Amino acid sequence: MTTAPRTLKQARAIYATNTELAWWVFMRISGMLLVFLVFGHLFFNNIQIDAATIDYAYVAERLSKPWVKIYDTFLLALAMMHGVNGLRYSVEDYVRKPGRRFWTKTILFTVAGIVFVLGTMALWAFSYDEMGAAVRALQ
Amino acid sequence: MYRGREGQWAFVLHRLTGVALALYLLLHVIDISLVMYGPEGPFNAFLTFYHQWPFRIGLIMVIAGVVYHAFNGLRIIVMDFTGWGVRFQRQLWYGVIGATAIVGVPVLIKIVPEIIGGA
Repeated sequence: MTTAPRTLKQARAIYATNTELAWWVFMRISGMLLVFLVFGHLFFNNIQIDAATIDYAYVAERLSKPWVKIYDTFLLALAMMHGVNGLRYSVEDYVRKPGRRFWTKTILFTVAGIVFVLGTMALWAFSYDEMGAAVRALQ
Repeated sequence: MYRGREGQWAFVLHRLTGVALALYLLLHVIDISLVMYGPEGPFNAFLTFYHQWPFRIGLIMVIAGVVYHAFNGLRIIVMDFTGWGVRFQRQLWYGVIGATAIVGVPVLIKIVPEIIGGA
């Protein structure tokens, strides 16, 4: 049976643990999904083709397909959360001074947020069918 | 420096590959996002730059890191959720190394000639 925490120390002991437990579970579930998503991503872009042939036309063609947008959205979201949480574990292990640790994490989360927004915009904010077609017409 | 046995090497490699892959992921999303500038934008110039052989060797290391991290991550899940996983963690780690090689060698056979041929 749990009781409401009465001190900051107790609250930290209880709530920090629950959040960490949620992240612990998330790392395992997202990890299993990412095995398939990342292996698929590598297969499409490194094995099926020569990665050195990738150019704007190829990416525009890919991003004009709805299933690629949805696949990449899951890949982006899960990989970013899994990767940034893993970086957070490392920061908490190796950055010892509280002040420095706070700022390292603040910068990490800020950069991660910006990169996530960029990636989501690249996936959803543009119509690549027109641009892909325009490039193919030029070639 | 303390040098442990297999379990510690499994951890060290998992952390090194994890940090490297997370940093690569951030760069990768940023450079692919340049696609937003359209066909006349900097996208093709960037990709041409990254198609030079040192970066392609780097990409092979990224792929190797992904494969190891994936299989060792599955080993961690087995250790966490089965009664026998921890007891056989050392054998499982050799399995991880073996699986990484089984996936990695064909990838090398596919990609290395492309780099040599394209350089």
